[in-house]
Amino acid sequence: MMSLPFLLFACGLAAAWTSRRRAAMGFWIAGVLVLLALFRFHATDVLTLGL
Amino acid sequence: MTNLSRLLNALGLVAIDTVLVLAFTDQLWFRDLPCPICILQRAGFIAAGFGVALNLMFGPRPSHYGLAILGAVAGGVISTRQILEHIVPGSGSYGNAIFGLHLYTWALLLFALIVLGSAIMLLFERQFAATDVLPSRLKVLPVLAVSLLAALALGNVVSTLAICGAGLCPDNPAGYMIFNDNLSLTLLGETP
Repeated sequence: MMSLPFLLFACGLAAAWTSRRRAAMGFWIAGVLVLLALFRFHATDVLTLGL
Repeated sequence: MTNLSRLLNALGLVAIDTVLVLAFTDQLWFRDLPCPICILQRAGFIAAGFGVALNLMFGPRPSHYGLAILGAVAGGVISTRQILEHIVPGSGSYGNAIFGLHLYTWALLLFALIVLGSAIMLLFERQFAATDVLPSRLKVLPVLAVSLLAALALGNVVSTLAICGAGLCPDNPAGYMIFNDNLSLTLLGETP
């Protein structure tokens, strides 16, 4: 699961290498969405800050 | 694409590659296993480098710089969260400090530099129209930089699988999960 963003970015770079720019950008968007979802799963502790 | 723009993009991508290589060096040489949030910051660097790589492969476009900025902002949010976890005196830290700062603090500074550098590059509009003939020396460095970024992305796939298995990472990884006896279970993301 945690390796998924890296895999999507690698697929995107492979798509770019074969001149498929739109597919590359699609992989980038998917990679960032998975990255943010994983961040949401891991950032669960309440910060002990008085903002 | 002006030659200067291509050179600057290539050097920028080499810098991002270097950060990821240093992270791997810290992990493998100094046996400093990355925490889950640290792994996500690595992904943020690759997301930012992706936009720069597109500049090198397809020529500079504002949308490519946009990807670099958005990737750096995503990574910056993640490193800010980790800094806030440790910002109160006595709340500890994670990993080794380098030149007095921990890796997540360096990461935030570098993400800010990527945003700043991309914003400055966007000011030079001539790069978006020019179609200069490239000298051969300006083809080698970009190919090497993009190839290294792809290799580092694949390297992180393997490394993350080794540390976390197929599920979510433990908060404080003590070793490579892939070397556990219950490999089949960890790869399925189940608790043995």
